[in-house]
Amino acid sequence: MDQNSPFSLSGKIFVVAGASSGIGLSIAKAVVQCGGKVIGIARREEKLREMVAELGEGNASYIKADLTKDEDIQRAVDMLPEINGYVHAAGILLHQPLKFIKRELLDQVMNANYYSAVLTLSELVKRKKIRRNLYSSIVLISSISNQVGSKSLLAYSSSKGAMSAAARVIASELAIQKIRVNTLEPAMVMTDIAAQASEVHSAEALAKDAAAYPFGYGLPEDIAYCTVFLLSDASKWITAQTLTLDGGWRTIV
Amino acid sequence: MDKNEFLKAFADQFDETEPALITLDTKFKELEEWSSMVALMIIAMADENYNKKITGADLRESDTIGQLYERISSR
Repeated sequence: MDQNSPFSLSGKIFVVAGASSGIGLSIAKAVVQCGGKVIGIARREEKLREMVAELGEGNASYIKADLTKDEDIQRAVDMLPEINGYVHAAGILLHQPLKFIKRELLDQVMNANYYSAVLTLSELVKRKKIRRNLYSSIVLISSISNQVGSKSLLAYSSSKGAMSAAARVIASELAIQKIRVNTLEPAMVMTDIAAQASEVHSAEALAKDAAAYPFGYGLPEDIAYCTVFLLSDASKWITAQTLTLDGGWRTIV
Repeated sequence: MDKNEFLKAFADQFDETEPALITLDTKFKELEEWSSMVALMIIAMADENYNKKITGADLRESDTIGQLYERISSR
């Protein structure tokens, strides 16, 4: 890509939380593909090493950290240089019907999906790690489950709803520094997390679900390319927005 | 893990089906009320009551409640 293109990430550094697998890994790859450098954060060091090996040490590095723990957030943020943007693609998905919901499970999911994002951003901003007045960009990977009611996804959907709501508030607070904040809300994307669906739903039910997607289920790169656009200067007039990525599922009848 | 207790907990996940219709020999997927939601409840019930993970394969490959019990009780 021409490094003068507004779509290029050349000369910029981005942090991707959840870079060890799925959508986060795909985003890390896309950042490098578009000329940027990536610092991946995740819990699994072996996976992070593989990511760096694949992308090259000149383009990628990693910090092993569990962002559900305050001390890990502190340590990770301490280690970071000044960055041009942050992507939060870390999280967990648990199926649990209302009748079986427990405080412990809600805490676990909110901590992994919501507290981790907000507390990390708080530290990044407090320590002025995100470059100001340069249209720096924060992208939070939320979920379409925040817009629809999917059986058994109460804890997950609530955590993503909280994340999407938080993004608008944070966008408002950071606008003065010309730091942008946007949210992506993908529908079904083929990742290891999504593969859990086959553990609880029949193949017949999944086939019926997939058939309702005009463009089929999404792939991790479908989310990654959109993230790259939101990280780039090509989207410098976009902030506080939520973009639904669903291959037409919600709107096309 | 007691077979009859499991049966009772299984039957408790149904709201409309007569408990008398739910025995160890019942082909549970043929019950009118069987749905993906009931399947999710059975999975959650086994996890909460017995700390056993029921998978999609367990449900797929078991016809009767007794067969499902046998599959998971040995774990």
